[in-house]
Amino acid sequence: MIDTKQKTTLLLLSPAIIVLVMVILGPLIFSLYSSFTPFKLTRPDSINQFIGFRNYVRIFGDEDFWAAFVRTIVVLTIALNLEMLLGLGLALLVNRATMAQKTLRTIMMFPMMFSPILVGFQFRFMFNDNIGVVNNALQSLGITQEAIPWLVDKYLAIFSICVAEIWNSTSVFAILILAGLMSLPKDPLEAAEVDGCTKWQTFRHVTLPYLMPFLYIAMTIRSLDIARAYDIVQIMTGGGPAQRTELLWTMIARTGYVDAKMGMANAMSYVAILLSIFFTVFFFRKLNQARHQLGVGL
Amino acid sequence: MKVKSLTYSIALLLAGAAHADLPGKYDGVTLQAKLIGGQQYEALYSRIADWEAATGAKVEVISKKSHFEIDKEIKSDMAAGTTDWCVGSNHSSFAPQYIGLYQDLVPLLAGADIDAYVPAIIGASKVGGELIMLPRAQFDVSALYYQKSLFEDADNQAKFKEKYGYDLKPAETWAQVSDQAKFFTDPPNFYGTQFAGKDEGLSGRFYEMLIAEGGAMFDEALKPTFNSEAGVRALNWFVDMYESGAVPKGTTSYLWDELGAGFASGNVAINLDWPGWAGYFNDPEASKVANNVGVVVQPKGSAGIRTGWSGHHGFSVTSDCANPEAAASLVWFLTNEDSQKHESAGGSLPTRTAVWEHVINTADSDYRKGVLATFSEAAQHAFPVPSIAEWIEASNVLFPELQAAIVGEKTAQEALDDAAKEIEEVLMDAGYY
Amino acid sequence: MNFAQSNVYQRTLKRVGKVAYILILAVTLMIILLPGLWVFLNSLRPINEIMAKPPVWIPQSLSFDHYKAMFDPVGSGGVPVLKYFRNSLIISLSSTLIALLIGLAGGYAFARTHFKGKRHWFLGLMLTRTVPGIALSLPLFMIMAKLGIIDTHFGVILVYVALNIPFTIWLIDGFFRQIPIELSQAAQIDGCTPWQAFWKVEFPLAKSGIASAGIFAFLTCWNEFAIASQLTRSIHSKTLPVGLLDFTAEFGVNWGGMSAMAVLITIPAIILTFLVQKHLVSGLTFGAVKG
Repeated sequence: MIDTKQKTTLLLLSPAIIVLVMVILGPLIFSLYSSFTPFKLTRPDSINQFIGFRNYVRIFGDEDFWAAFVRTIVVLTIALNLEMLLGLGLALLVNRATMAQKTLRTIMMFPMMFSPILVGFQFRFMFNDNIGVVNNALQSLGITQEAIPWLVDKYLAIFSICVAEIWNSTSVFAILILAGLMSLPKDPLEAAEVDGCTKWQTFRHVTLPYLMPFLYIAMTIRSLDIARAYDIVQIMTGGGPAQRTELLWTMIARTGYVDAKMGMANAMSYVAILLSIFFTVFFFRKLNQARHQLGVGL
Repeated sequence: MKVKSLTYSIALLLAGAAHADLPGKYDGVTLQAKLIGGQQYEALYSRIADWEAATGAKVEVISKKSHFEIDKEIKSDMAAGTTDWCVGSNHSSFAPQYIGLYQDLVPLLAGADIDAYVPAIIGASKVGGELIMLPRAQFDVSALYYQKSLFEDADNQAKFKEKYGYDLKPAETWAQVSDQAKFFTDPPNFYGTQFAGKDEGLSGRFYEMLIAEGGAMFDEALKPTFNSEAGVRALNWFVDMYESGAVPKGTTSYLWDELGAGFASGNVAINLDWPGWAGYFNDPEASKVANNVGVVVQPKGSAGIRTGWSGHHGFSVTSDCANPEAAASLVWFLTNEDSQKHESAGGSLPTRTAVWEHVINTADSDYRKGVLATFSEAAQHAFPVPSIAEWIEASNVLFPELQAAIVGEKTAQEALDDAAKEIEEVLMDAGYY
Repeated sequence: MNFAQSNVYQRTLKRVGKVAYILILAVTLMIILLPGLWVFLNSLRPINEIMAKPPVWIPQSLSFDHYKAMFDPVGSGGVPVLKYFRNSLIISLSSTLIALLIGLAGGYAFARTHFKGKRHWFLGLMLTRTVPGIALSLPLFMIMAKLGIIDTHFGVILVYVALNIPFTIWLIDGFFRQIPIELSQAAQIDGCTPWQAFWKVEFPLAKSGIASAGIFAFLTCWNEFAIASQLTRSIHSKTLPVGLLDFTAEFGVNWGGMSAMAVLITIPAIILTFLVQKHLVSGLTFGAVKG
């Protein structure tokens, strides 16, 4: 028997579940099915042809796919960790300010307000090796005489993309960490000072453990919607040159829409989704552990 | 609305006057259209109102998007089976992909002046023998832009002659472009030339060089043959430019806008580029090389053939369209003589012989006259991409390999062999052999 | 070292520390602001100055030409930017509102009731957000094209609501946990229905949590591109980020116009964030962490 309380719960949750089933789950099942077909957009009948795991076998045997897979993990790991460190620094800076907090906070969140597609255009233009502002500045300051190929060089291209992504998303970390800092209880801090702890010791042993849940929340949130980095990469380099900046999402988009091989693209999508799920669950677990240690309950 | 238009087309059929005189009378008909958006293309759309006034029909623009976005949407439509809109923007390089989507216009255009379009462009508008699009005044072939002052400078002329043993003049062959580019280069502030380094831009540039070197993309059975000696020569031209530093190191990240901006910024000597840039390059508001721009017909490769990869925009009528006669009338109207005059006034190239004469005669400056004369000659040497549905897909396999050779990760032969192998697989999957 | 000396030393150290702090803060803020200000500056400069080589560092002629051009009729340099703006506003505001309502219901349910496998349900809801837009866009297009809701506000709103539900539930759930259940119980003893108790007692306390969930949702909708580019087609529903591509043609990008539009897209987001940033910080403080 379902009692009233459970009925209410169900009632309250049902709008969310209905929308998610309609918009996410339903389409996902279709994608899953089509990943077992040679579905080509321009040959709609191909959806009826079942080919088992052939798409998966193909992508698992494809060097380019694995290169993109590994590259995606590396870029994500680097970008997320740097965003976390920089966000922490930024939050500490802003939290220390005694004046103009409101303005500082708004500036801190400034990059977050830019659409990723806009960020892509902006940084592609800034990193242009010929007329981009970055090279112009370096040359005018006499730091280099060369036109550094930011978007072409094996390492610089990835670097440039990371810079754009980090610029765009560090704010998310900063704002969450700042929220943590502001809710930091005063007593343990004062106690630490009385005990003669140095500033670093206080930070390391009092502030940081308290901030951990906030860090993991930020990590979880970011790994949830990390795929939006696609817009940035697509606009900046489109995965090139010579697939040096190819990430899973640019590969999926090109395979699916430009080559029109949607079945194959959906097989790749599933690998990408599994990757995101892995990252998210990993941080979610960490988050629960950190909460546990703080004793804030679950 | 649908019922009404259906009865109307039946009435038309009964009258037996379905398409004799375009544009015709189509009261009560509403045509849905998907059009390419962007500044360059939209001036023409003011003519739609004229057609509506003439025929009594209405046009509902249900989609207006950029080149690649509209391509994506049309493919999604094909997958969803929602293809009962009538008129779509099309492009010659993309057209073969849309298998079965658009219908042959010839039966719908009986009595219309198809022979008034440039014959070669009509040829490039056919897929499998069917005329699936009518070309608008947006024809593209590249010619060689250069900074005049550099070539007129006596000091440059003397030094060049001494070094290379022949006179410095705008290049007639790609080998000369190579010499001149190296001669003018002074990184990081000045480069000899540049090229599109990614996407179909790079594939297309390689493709035309391949033809100019006497090679071919495919043999008659559609087996890839571009990894031939001619192919290696063609690719090595790009590799050599890159390695010698005569092009910006970022060139493999450039597409048309970076290239145009680069030449307009005044730090590139020679630039193979599209006709649409001619006005921009000579506009003092936008360009540093204004009043210093020369244009000559594109150079020849070692086989004595000029490069000339070309493409054009046009309009098509879907097979599922409920009012194909009305749609054909609109498509014809948007590409007729008046429309092409209207559109080419914005600087793009026409696709009708008479309009070519018109634009040359009415050019408002010597520069413009020169540009048009050059491009009309350039058009004589133009050729389209291979007309297969898999061209874009093949291009997506090809260009990363070309890039790999250009940046030195592979030799030209290795890169082309790898690409040929992969493209052969693509074509095999598509069922050609 | 006598006492006075040490005092001076301490004070100097403090002053050096303060100067260093201000310097670091200034540099950081510069890095954050520069890319944005660069766009703003470019929106005021003529194209040949934007593209100049060697660069023009000190702007020679500033004007609102790109802004004016943007409002010209379509076909003679303009982009239907007001229509896009309207679409963006309608879509973002409605999706945010609906997502908040659904999130409020869902978050409340998670916070206040216990049921079997609750944590798994919660994680499951969150994970729906990991699906990249690119994997959803085609099936959604096919379904919506069949239903005839392509290129309508409704279609885009529906998808955006779904995108924002997980995070909204998360934040709101965390927030309600902070509010002692006794408050609502007390109100009910005083004669309120549970419904009244919720709106009169619990909801006002959760306000800043809801505001912070709202701003995140709004920014997500306002800036989304991948899905909007697939589900919108014309002035009926195209949003600002999609409209940005109107400045690109097959062969060129109009950087001046694009910069002007970029400024236009960003300003409402900045204003809104400035207005609610206080709630944002306090909302997040309790919302997420204690969930």
